[in-house]
Amino acid sequence: MRERSLQPRITRRSALKMAGAAALPALIKPAFADEGAVLRAAFAIQPATLDPQKMRVGGVDYNYVYNCFSRLTAQDPKLQVQPDLATSWDAAEDLKTWTFHLRPGVKFHNGKPLDAADVVFTFKRIQDKEIGSVLRVNFSIVDSIEAVDPLTVRFNLSIPYADLPAAVAAYQAAIVSESVVDTLTTHPIGTGPFRFVEYRPGDQLVIERNPGYFLRGEPTLDRVIMRIIPEFTTSVAALESGAVDAVFDLPPEQIEQLAKSTVAHVDEVQAGRWQGIIWNCEMKPFDDARVRRAFNKLIDKQAITEIAMFGHAAPTLTPIPPFHPYFRKDIPIGGSDIAGAKKLLAEAGIPTGWDLEMYVPGNNPPRERLATAFRETAKQVGINVHLRVAPPDKFFAEMEGKVRFSADGFYGRATPDLMVYPWYHSTGSWNNTLWHYHNPEVDKVLDAARATNSTAEQARLYGRFQEMLVDDSPGSVIYVQNFACGVSNKVRNLVISPLMLMDFSKVTLTA
Amino acid sequence: MTGYVVQRLGAVLIILVAMSILVFLATHALPSNAAALILGQYSTPGMQAALEHKLGFDQPLHLQYWHWASQMLQGDMGLSFEMERPVAPMLWDALSRSAVLALSSMAVVSTVGLALGVIAAVWRGRWPDHAASVFTYLGISLPEFYWGLVFILVFGSLLHLLPSSGFVSLSGGVGPFLAHLIMPVATLTLTLLAHVARLTRSSMVEALESMYVRVARARGLPERRVILRHALRNALIPSITVLAQDFGFLIGGIVAVETVFAYPGLGRMLVTALERQDLPVMQAAILVLTAVYCVANLTADLLYAVANPRIRYGGAID
Repeated sequence: MRERSLQPRITRRSALKMAGAAALPALIKPAFADEGAVLRAAFAIQPATLDPQKMRVGGVDYNYVYNCFSRLTAQDPKLQVQPDLATSWDAAEDLKTWTFHLRPGVKFHNGKPLDAADVVFTFKRIQDKEIGSVLRVNFSIVDSIEAVDPLTVRFNLSIPYADLPAAVAAYQAAIVSESVVDTLTTHPIGTGPFRFVEYRPGDQLVIERNPGYFLRGEPTLDRVIMRIIPEFTTSVAALESGAVDAVFDLPPEQIEQLAKSTVAHVDEVQAGRWQGIIWNCEMKPFDDARVRRAFNKLIDKQAITEIAMFGHAAPTLTPIPPFHPYFRKDIPIGGSDIAGAKKLLAEAGIPTGWDLEMYVPGNNPPRERLATAFRETAKQVGINVHLRVAPPDKFFAEMEGKVRFSADGFYGRATPDLMVYPWYHSTGSWNNTLWHYHNPEVDKVLDAARATNSTAEQARLYGRFQEMLVDDSPGSVIYVQNFACGVSNKVRNLVISPLMLMDFSKVTLTA
Repeated sequence: MTGYVVQRLGAVLIILVAMSILVFLATHALPSNAAALILGQYSTPGMQAALEHKLGFDQPLHLQYWHWASQMLQGDMGLSFEMERPVAPMLWDALSRSAVLALSSMAVVSTVGLALGVIAAVWRGRWPDHAASVFTYLGISLPEFYWGLVFILVFGSLLHLLPSSGFVSLSGGVGPFLAHLIMPVATLTLTLLAHVARLTRSSMVEALESMYVRVARARGLPERRVILRHALRNALIPSITVLAQDFGFLIGGIVAVETVFAYPGLGRMLVTALERQDLPVMQAAILVLTAVYCVANLTADLLYAVANPRIRYGGAID
């Protein structure tokens, strides 16, 4: 009896206990213990499409396309144009013929060598109406594009255009190959430092090192996992617990919170994304220049920037951001001239107690704070502003450009021409959508600026443009928002660019 | 019993057909112009008309429905407008992940809910009863969103015990798989627990006071057997109904929980499709959710029949 009781007796309960104990190490051990150098980055919105030419939304889309594809040129974080697939380029005297010389020996991820025909195909695709690329408008000045030889491409333009080398650096101008264009949305093939592995909508997009990348020594990471985490509270918690290594585009509220962290920090750069107030110059009473001037006097850009963005933004004159060399630092930002605004409004016959509806696309707390701040200012001149916050999709489909008065915002663009031409030139696409502003003097300046490749002359012309808009602006571009990312302290050399980009190609991870 | 099952299956089929018509009409009644959405801001009306023709949007509505429904029946859910990828594989992936979440939550809700209900009934008026009711009411009084964020802040950010987001499949290891499930399941459970626990408590109280329980006790059966075999079995019937209803709430709750925990399931897929007006994804996701709901209700009806012989025998309550 005694002997028997000393022997281990397996009952159901003890078996369960043992199984539980055996499972414990598995529970504690993390998955994928050895998978090389992997960076996990969190993005709030899932990619809309994997087809570079069809991209319309920034965020994960641009980051994926930048890291998996190459363009003819690239723009560095100071917005200077650098070689990418093209090692050099030159223009004819009249700036209407541009020739790009391709890097020899570049291969697509499937091994196919890159040649001039791929570049020609890509730009024809951008110009194809059926594709519906947002770049089509920028390249409508291209009359023809031809492959001179396998490594030389020539653009023939309808007008002199100095900014072409920067325009071809756009994300949507990523070079694709005709042979694999049908599988671009399911298995994209590019020439970038990383190649596509898998995309699970709503979950993650995985890319891995391209061992055949044309720049030696890059990339240093083995893999990048771009995770989709819609809530910033969740992604910041994941950053602090080490589950992700970077969080893309933090809102100002989260910047403040992460500043206290001991395991991660905020990388912040000035960027060109702007927000502002739009009035439709064809609708009463904004067709009266005095009313427009009164509103420009009224809006206190400095105060609104502080209220809306907690200081993570810079007040500006136009979409040309204050960090740009062409920005006119000598022109005062202006605003908060209540007496001046009152006087002009009285002259234009605007009665005290005027009710004005202001439409605001929602899901964007800074923009809602901007609108609220404006409402309070407007009270001082006797205007009752009523905020109408609408879901963003509804706003962009039904209200943008169709209502008299609204708040709105746009991503930054790469060159001064792209920053202002579509918004302020009489023929500009956004001008004709938003505020319908027609000023022949402004047209003349903008046309001249895009046709010169003298930096000094461009600086003078864009300087003049900013001056012209101080009084008679068809809307108030209030501030340009900083671009901030949360980054784990173990991540080194993550380059954050004002073009809303995290460049993973030089990243290393420390223990 | 067979007659009953056939009758219920027939009802489910009718509901599915009706829902498919409703989903089709509702999504077509949306104010957006799908062709404009696909082609982008610079498209011309001519281009839009050409694409509408290609997609068959210029055909009469009943023909469009017929085309769509017959494709759906063959398992072809079309291409996502926005992503230009086939909908079906994406949807089945998302559904399987949501199913893991839903079934785990249902399992936890039913076991914990029933247990809490029984405990509260057996010790009614004493502290376990009060504790159970405070706990369950606290869960139901605040939305999933709130509890999800509280869990993330406490167990993710502060204690670093659990991953705050995402999903790891079983092939990634049992531990990580379970670890990613704990917080979302706990959140869903907390908000659903009250219904089951309160209802089980009241029907258990009733059963414990009934004649047959008194008889069972008088026969000298052990208390454990009296509670679990005699009282609980009868008290279960209303709980099954409420669990089936909870499945409906669960589907709603999953949308919020999947968003908070960045869990790549069907709920989030539907929300994204709605935001971006991706018609094929929207239609397929709503229809699949309806089917899931119908199947859950059917299962509840069948379980109910199993637990209650009066239903099984064709409602012959004379």
